[in-house]
Amino acid sequence: MELARLPISASQRGKLISAGYTSFSSLSSLSPSTLAQDLKISDNEALEILRVVSQGSRLDKPDGSHAIVNGAQTAWDMLHEEESLKCITTSCVDLDDILGGGIKCKEVTEIGGVPGIGKTQLGIQLAVNVQIPVNYGGLGGKAIYIDTEGSFMLERALQIAEACIEDMSGNSDFLQKDFQSCQVKAQPKDFLQNIFYFRVCSYTEQIAMINYLDKFISEHKDVNVVIIDSVTFHFRQDFDDLALRTRLLSGMALKLMKLAKKFSLAVVLLNQVTTKHTEGSFQLTLALGDSWSHSCTNRVILYWNGDERYAYIDKSPSLRSASAPYSVTGKGIRTATSKCKRIKIM
Amino acid sequence: MIPQNLLQNPLALTTQKCTLGCPILDRCLAGGVPCNSITELVAESGSGKTQLCLQLLLSAQLPSSLGGLAASSLYIHSEFPFPSRRLHQLSQSFRSSYSHVLDSECNPLDFVLVRGVQSADQLFDVLLKMDSVLLRPPTRLPVRLIVIDSIAALFRGEFENTPFDLKRRSSLFFKISGKLKTLAERFGLAVVVTNQVVDFVGQAEGLNGLRIGNLGSLWSSGRRVCAALGLAWANCVNSRLFLSRNEEIVGEVTGLGGVGAGDTVSRLTRRHLHVIFAPHLPESSCEFVISREGVLGVER
Repeated sequence: MELARLPISASQRGKLISAGYTSFSSLSSLSPSTLAQDLKISDNEALEILRVVSQGSRLDKPDGSHAIVNGAQTAWDMLHEEESLKCITTSCVDLDDILGGGIKCKEVTEIGGVPGIGKTQLGIQLAVNVQIPVNYGGLGGKAIYIDTEGSFMLERALQIAEACIEDMSGNSDFLQKDFQSCQVKAQPKDFLQNIFYFRVCSYTEQIAMINYLDKFISEHKDVNVVIIDSVTFHFRQDFDDLALRTRLLSGMALKLMKLAKKFSLAVVLLNQVTTKHTEGSFQLTLALGDSWSHSCTNRVILYWNGDERYAYIDKSPSLRSASAPYSVTGKGIRTATSKCKRIKIM
Repeated sequence: MIPQNLLQNPLALTTQKCTLGCPILDRCLAGGVPCNSITELVAESGSGKTQLCLQLLLSAQLPSSLGGLAASSLYIHSEFPFPSRRLHQLSQSFRSSYSHVLDSECNPLDFVLVRGVQSADQLFDVLLKMDSVLLRPPTRLPVRLIVIDSIAALFRGEFENTPFDLKRRSSLFFKISGKLKTLAERFGLAVVVTNQVVDFVGQAEGLNGLRIGNLGSLWSSGRRVCAALGLAWANCVNSRLFLSRNEEIVGEVTGLGGVGAGDTVSRLTRRHLHVIFAPHLPESSCEFVISREGVLGVER
């Protein structure tokens, strides 16, 4: 009997059994006053018994395995979970490859680069791609797009959504899917409806927005990605109190990581580049400083290599450091054409 | 906080734009200068930045059916004197071209507000007071276009080349740009800012030759140039356009004394508008000329 293992006195045990309590579950949702009345003991004693019971039930799981801390998982369970998590494709084969399939959910990915390299384009592409239905290998979810700079252009989002729909119907022809169930009736406008667009104009608005996300996403559980374009802009103004800026940034980073884990969504932060003055020379680095670089799970840097755009995995716990070319076309982010040509010749 | 309804106007799913006054140039920019964002014009002096800006001050007054904003404009200039004579000349040809849509009793110049500033701090002060001007405009039409010509002149000479001053300068960029973007978002303004170029010196590798945008290198008047104010300012604007001018030799006339002596070479100045980066535009360029009537695109 379970109660036999509890460190309580024999008389207390006797009273529990005669009152009808023989297992942990019968005591689990009891209040101390109810138990005190039943056993005819003082409230404090009842409280003590319930505390011992809750400790005992935590240490002893029904299937016999012992969990040390409430809420812990085994690494095996975590591996299974990770493998079942879907990724958001970037529509570029090489980029998806180096990202291990795409932008991962439950992680914060930071993407930075010089102006004009395609950060906003990638952001809009992800906001569209997250909506690809499950039948076509996507997540069928919605997106939150937080715009801090005003770079989100409606007509561009529409253009990218149209191209995505075209690609999907092209693919379905190729795979000869059952048209009855997966016929794509989606219109580009429908894609726009599934993007929750917020415009923030100051750092206080940005922080308030991120604080509000928890409530918003609890009400809209189908959101699978949060994109912030860009996370830097409002923090590059003069902060008289630098310690305040660091506090605000780390608080923001923590909240975003919690959101990603809690709701199993992908958080994508777009960042700018700046020059860092070290030892007399200037180097190119992502903005917001060194302490910010710890705030994200993965870091991707977009850069020019000659006339081609490249993406480089700068930091990741699970991905190899690698670079891949990509291109920005009228349809959005796509695989770099020079590579396509090579494949055709082969 | 409620998300913005992207499908607010289901019949017109594009950002509103202000026409440049020429259909060929508008085509290059997919309609014109977009509202709710900052567009930067980078060019050498004498390339046509101010001409284009003056033209915009007038075309903003056109009704939206013709691509305008039906609005007044504010012209903040940092280079003196203000080109009033040229604006007057342009407004006369503007008036005659659009007499069928404009109110014949009103002078287009009535809808242009002008303000001179001499330093970056002064500019920021003007922007802080802008809210009241935009809420209660002194003209009949609301103000929906702000032109700052040029932003570079306000920052050159005031800051040294030390890391401390450069940092101070860049935080000022973000302050000004942040304020402009807030105003643009709140009042639906189109903001145009002009910038100068600096000669490109040094190695092409490393930070100096950092490529920003669609063109690997910018050329004007036969020299390699890059936009002034550096990487920090480039992060503050939404779109960047580059106006280049180059001289081309179009013909040679041999002089009387044989080859080499008294040769006359005809040169033609060719001007191009290039899209360096913009969230809604592909890489493109368009040739234009500056005439009495204004800046006009040249069909390819």
